Amino acid sequence: MNEFIQNLIPVVIAVVGSMVWLGINALVLVYCERKFAGHIQRRPGPFEVGPHGVLQTLIDGLKLMGKQLLTPDNADGFLYWLAPILSMIPVLLLFMPIPYGPVLTGMQVNLGLLLILAFSSFNGLAVILAGWASNNKWGVLGAARAVAQTVAYEIPLLLTVLAIAFMTGTLDLTEITAQQAGHIGNWFIWKQPLAFIIFLIAMFGETNRAPFDLAEAESELTAGFHTEYSSMGFGLFFMAEYGYMVVICSVCSVLFLGGFHGPIPGIEGWWWMLAKTYALLFLMIWARWTFPRVRFDQLLNINWKWLLPLATFNLLATALIMKL
Amino acid sequence: MEVMAKVAFCVYTAVIIGGSVFAVASSSLVRALVGLITTLVGVAGMYMLLASPFMAFMQLLIYVGAVSVLIFFAVMLTRAESGGDEASGAPMKTYVFGLAATMAPAAILGWLILTRPVASIAVPAEVSIKQLGEGLLGSYFLPFELISVILMVAMAGAVLLTWEKRGKK
Repeated sequence: MNEFIQNLIPVVIAVVGSMVWLGINALVLVYCERKFAGHIQRRPGPFEVGPHGVLQTLIDGLKLMGKQLLTPDNADGFLYWLAPILSMIPVLLLFMPIPYGPVLTGMQVNLGLLLILAFSSFNGLAVILAGWASNNKWGVLGAARAVAQTVAYEIPLLLTVLAIAFMTGTLDLTEITAQQAGHIGNWFIWKQPLAFIIFLIAMFGETNRAPFDLAEAESELTAGFHTEYSSMGFGLFFMAEYGYMVVICSVCSVLFLGGFHGPIPGIEGWWWMLAKTYALLFLMIWARWTFPRVRFDQLLNINWKWLLPLATFNLLATALIMKL
Repeated sequence: MEVMAKVAFCVYTAVIIGGSVFAVASSSLVRALVGLITTLVGVAGMYMLLASPFMAFMQLLIYVGAVSVLIFFAVMLTRAESGGDEASGAPMKTYVFGLAATMAPAAILGWLILTRPVASIAVPAEVSIKQLGEGLLGSYFLPFELISVILMVAMAGAVLLTWEKRGKK
């Protein structure tokens, strides 16, 4: 029993750490997103609460918590409230196997990459449950789009991840990081440039972010799958979305950008990982406020006609080169 | 650790049985699907307990992430009414037959386990994915390839069926 408790303590610390990390990131990212959007559109963004509006998201969070939880008439109450929880819970687990620094790793898992892919698939389920259970036409339409989109974009994402797994011979994120040690030339972005581009595009599709945010396209579907959610029901979906963004950007920096290794040998640490992850996150925000939303058939055509064949070709080429 | 393994086993069993009862008892198709997903997650937990995390994660990735989502899609397209034929109660005979059909295999398996207990229950050793791959492409090469052929045929068949319908229109 003693041994069990000893094993349990690091896990509990890692889970609590993930929760804190997720909360801070959601606050910071929402602020950054609004500020960025403001400056891209030549307006100051949030400005009133605190210096340059830094406290705006905190106050918005409190406002969200203070609102009433509404369940629409004829909605399936159980599934309706299950959906946001199901969207939120797996995110906490996803941070565990990501090596943020030489010491700062929640839990070294042999199959870390697979763990992330497996548990992130809960989000698609949560989205369709939410859309269906709200008993709302916009919700159902958003859910139907979300299904077609996430199932489609998962395939090129998996294929690019597989290409990296072929090269490294492991699914352990710590091991993948270790193989990119040394200087900038060892990062996998140079060996797998095509995979990096495909991953980057599929990343937008998987996280339902603009220009691929058709599941919640506000100009046609009000808010898509979360139209009916009020208060923290919406808040949980929102936090989960930012959580998935942080996870997928962290995974991208581990797979292609060397994780916590710096561009020159000798200096390594969590600050590199943080800088790379946030650079990717800013890319996502930037893309959201610069590109118009694509049409749904265009979205699926990009995936099935371009990303999937290219990813397959990339995988076959990787296998061939690895054999030679 | 052995006590914890037993506790985990009980929890997963409860999840599996609870999920399946929920799936059978609910009148709404989507709720039944949620029950099915709960059962699948419980089965993934069982794989975890058997020290095969690869199987557990694959179970989650394929069944929870893809298959159940596609079933959901099919359910949404059929627009099943919550007050349809299945919602009303069935005659007593159906319940008796259903119970008999589930109890028969359970009784046989239970009798087998009770009369012929396993010699020893060793702690299962974790099989690495490398070993798994070598096994699949080595000693179990033929079944592995045959399964791929069956899946390929099923996929081609599905495409062919929809192709014909489209031609008639």
